[in-house]
Amino acid sequence: MSATDFSATPATPATPRRDVAWMGRFNASLRYGVLLLVGLIMLYPLLWMVAASFKPNHEIFGSIGLWPQEPTLDGVISGWRTGTEYSFATYLFNTFAFIIPKVVLTVISSVLVAYGFARFNMPGKRIWFAAMIGTILLPKSVLLIPQYLMFRELGWLDTYLPLYVPCAFATEGFFVFMIVQFLRGFPPDMEEAAVIDGCNSLQVLWHVVVPVIMPAVISVALFQFMWSMNDFLYPLIYLSSVEKYPVALALKMAIDVTEATAWNQVLAMSTIALVPSLVVFFLAQRYFVDGITSGSVKG
Amino acid sequence: MARGEVQLRGITKSFGAVDVIKGVDLNIAPGELVVFVGPSGCGKSTLLRLISGLEMPTGGSLHIGGRDVTLTHPAKRGIAMVFQSYALYPHMSVAENMGFGLKIAGVPKAEIQAKVAAAAEILQLTHLLDRKPRALSGGQRQRVAIGRCIVRQPEVFLFDEPLSNLDAALRGQMRVEIARLHAKLDATMVYVTHDQVEAMTLASKIVVLNAGKIEQIGAPIELYRNPANLFVAGFIGSPSMNFMKGKVVATDEAHVAVRLAAGTLRLPRRNAATAPGSSVTVGIRPEHFSIGEPDSDDIAFFEGEVELVERLGGETLAHLRVPALAEEGLTIVKLTGDAPLRIGSRLRIGVRLSHAHLFDADGRAVGTPSAKIAVAA
Amino acid sequence: MYENKTTGYLYIAPFLLGLATFTLFPFLSSFLLSFSDYQLQDPVAQANFTGLTNYREMAADATFHNSLWVTFLYVFVTVPLKLAFALFIAFVLNFKLRGIGFFRTAYYVPSILGGSVAIAVLWRYVFAGDGLINQVSIWLGGEPLNWLGEPGYALFTIVLLRLWQFGSAMVVFLAGLQNIPTDLYEAATIDGASKWRIFFTITLPLLTPVIFFNFIMQIVQAFQEFNGPYIITGGGPLKSTYLLPLMIYEEAFKYFNVGYASALSWALFVIIAIFTVIAFTSAKYWVFYGSERGDKK
Ligand SMILES: Nc1ncnc2c1ncn2[C@@H]1O[C@H](COP(=O)(O)OP(=O)(O)OP(=O)(O)O)[C@@H](O)[C@H]1O
Ligand SMILES: [Mg+2]
Repeated sequence: MSATDFSATPATPATPRRDVAWMGRFNASLRYGVLLLVGLIMLYPLLWMVAASFKPNHEIFGSIGLWPQEPTLDGVISGWRTGTEYSFATYLFNTFAFIIPKVVLTVISSVLVAYGFARFNMPGKRIWFAAMIGTILLPKSVLLIPQYLMFRELGWLDTYLPLYVPCAFATEGFFVFMIVQFLRGFPPDMEEAAVIDGCNSLQVLWHVVVPVIMPAVISVALFQFMWSMNDFLYPLIYLSSVEKYPVALALKMAIDVTEATAWNQVLAMSTIALVPSLVVFFLAQRYFVDGITSGSVKG
Repeated sequence: MARGEVQLRGITKSFGAVDVIKGVDLNIAPGELVVFVGPSGCGKSTLLRLISGLEMPTGGSLHIGGRDVTLTHPAKRGIAMVFQSYALYPHMSVAENMGFGLKIAGVPKAEIQAKVAAAAEILQLTHLLDRKPRALSGGQRQRVAIGRCIVRQPEVFLFDEPLSNLDAALRGQMRVEIARLHAKLDATMVYVTHDQVEAMTLASKIVVLNAGKIEQIGAPIELYRNPANLFVAGFIGSPSMNFMKGKVVATDEAHVAVRLAAGTLRLPRRNAATAPGSSVTVGIRPEHFSIGEPDSDDIAFFEGEVELVERLGGETLAHLRVPALAEEGLTIVKLTGDAPLRIGSRLRIGVRLSHAHLFDADGRAVGTPSAKIAVAA
Repeated sequence: MYENKTTGYLYIAPFLLGLATFTLFPFLSSFLLSFSDYQLQDPVAQANFTGLTNYREMAADATFHNSLWVTFLYVFVTVPLKLAFALFIAFVLNFKLRGIGFFRTAYYVPSILGGSVAIAVLWRYVFAGDGLINQVSIWLGGEPLNWLGEPGYALFTIVLLRLWQFGSAMVVFLAGLQNIPTDLYEAATIDGASKWRIFFTITLPLLTPVIFFNFIMQIVQAFQEFNGPYIITGGGPLKSTYLLPLMIYEEAFKYFNVGYASALSWALFVIIAIFTVIAFTSAKYWVFYGSERGDKK
């Protein structure tokens, strides 16, 4: 740019600077205003739900306030009992019975496959990588029915196997992609040093790569945990006996049974159902943000 | 063959269709410190990685300590490598970093500890053994990377631009340390660098690479004095040698007379297989000019005009226009720090004829200087 | 790396096996099933080839037409609104404000929980006749609306559930914004560019890869929305929230018309495929991939 351009934007001396400061403060207040308002709207329903769990039934509809006038644990207690033949403890246990293998298998298979994609140059790699991206975009409904038939042939209906066995095969392409992106951010020097130190590729993976990509691995585990907690469709089609129901199904069933009357109980059950996810989220929130951004922003 | 000897025979390497190393033969004697230099992208790192086994050659064979290791796993070649990025394992302490190779090899804990302690002693790292790499300075990380090599007691140490991430002062210090280490360990070392000073001071032998081929191998001073071709002549020495195009006008037993732009140089040269009329290039290093010296047989004087002066303190670089030597382009001349120079002023400069180099049309050095070069400028 | 050329295949072997058994095989099977009259309770061997019958039926099925329309409406209202809102909030957050971390977390929570049955249940309460929304609107002097009973509004409640989860897209935008080197802004400011100009000539172009990523992910997810309509509205009233994934589920697992459901699922697949192909081919015209790679932390 030329000198004339430069003189057209004069350096601002003392007087206008006060304006700038004032503008800055105004700007900041505006931003805080927007953020607080949006935050309130976003979180109010959640807070209301938690509060409603401690309200008697007649208080739930008819007021928008949070604080219960006649606090009671009735909702929470009957919510825990669920009104079905099992208590929440059973359903939570059931949920973990398939989520834990699911998370473990997802992590192991995704790390292995991502390592293969990120660090080896085998013939045909590009095609398989493209296929993996394709599976991310493929709608699940198109696979749902044949998978169901397949698992029925295997005699796996009403077991947890259909829910987690596929995870042993890196079927969640998104996680593989996340780790691959993360690995691409690291130069392979360290791994080469490990090769010279005498590691075979599996030892390199275990001793060097896994410790280094631990944040991504944790992100994958957390996302899989959350998504599986929320998952409803797959348990719905594969599980038929109530004693095997996870929280998601139990909640839906309990609500169908009690909804007409015991509102505080329904909301208490919903609240309880969210507790594991919330606890995990607040313990490890950093990894969620890192994980979701590593798949999209880097490269 | 002895421990620490390295032999490359017709090594080639292609990445897909790109030939990166185009046939390299090289012998490295035990205990030598060989430095690879060359322009960026010429294949220095690739050649080093071929020796390390991190890359497999497309053709040729490699022997270390008398064994054919062309297809051997990197860990079993008796080499150790220091990476430019140090490549320390961030989750391990300094001691664990240094002992990792031994641990993988299944060496008992006590023995690992003893070896790590010994190496740490040599590198003055003992007080840092429990730290993680991120809590170390650049120079300390560098030493840990070297320590990791020492612990393995390799036949050959490989360094890929190990000092390029350090600041100038630290680089000088580490350079001395590596030289000291080389003397102490008496191991073979192969060292890649961009830095001329590192190459000249450290090397017992320099290998100049260009576009995947060796241009010349020799002791640093040998490459400086007798570059085999234009490439080496231009690459070794800083600032670069001045090149002037000309034609041979006459030759006798001990001299070659070359007609440059407007002047003639009568260079003392023996065995110069050039006929009058052939095109040649004369090369003169900036340090082989002088001002204010008395006339002699060895000096030819020319008039120049000062176009640019760079004062570096101890010395001065003058960019001169010398019509007699070159029609266009400037001649760089290295003079003393207090040389009285003004831009635009005229200057009488002398060329030391016995220090001039002569290259034929293909860029190969022609003949040998007839007078033994007694004094370096 | 040292190892021979095929070692990589050992590592991606699980993926290849999974691809064959849990993706490609079902994918092709559902294509075959879509040409059959197969019923869920029958042994698979009893399926009859019926040619294009299912597709002909689809072409004439008013329910399918409705679902298609509702699905499109849902996707093309939800995705742009969600992205725009996420981008807007990311901008507001991308400023040296204290407490960014708090807001980022607060906004992200709904994305974590939003897909769950519990939240869907909560939604029913919030939008019930005398639920939270209507209470608030009365409190503000408005009219209570029959959110879940009116076809026009019911879809809107489901759209809102999605919008409420803008946090995940926002976090990605925020990271993208923070990845833009500040010296670019400084250079533009020195060049005398106005704020809006900087936004349109620097921020937006540099953000296009992230916008593209979010767009693709949101489109693909939105086309597969199931929990919301199933739990909140059951597809009603008057099938106004009967999104395609719900219809596929009911055809297969409620009415057992696997053949027809497979044809529907292929229709959904083709629709998503068309949109992703359009998105990917158009990407080279509007997505800006700078040559500079972001520096590592
Ligand atoms: N894995 C690879 N695949 C393809 N080409 C490569 C690979 N590694 C190196 N090359 C190419 O080989 C050539 C030599 O690379 P190399 O790293 O050996 O150069 P160098 O001399 O070390 O350069 P520098 O001084 O910049 O480090 C370069 O042109 C480079 O692009
Ligand atoms: Mg290099």
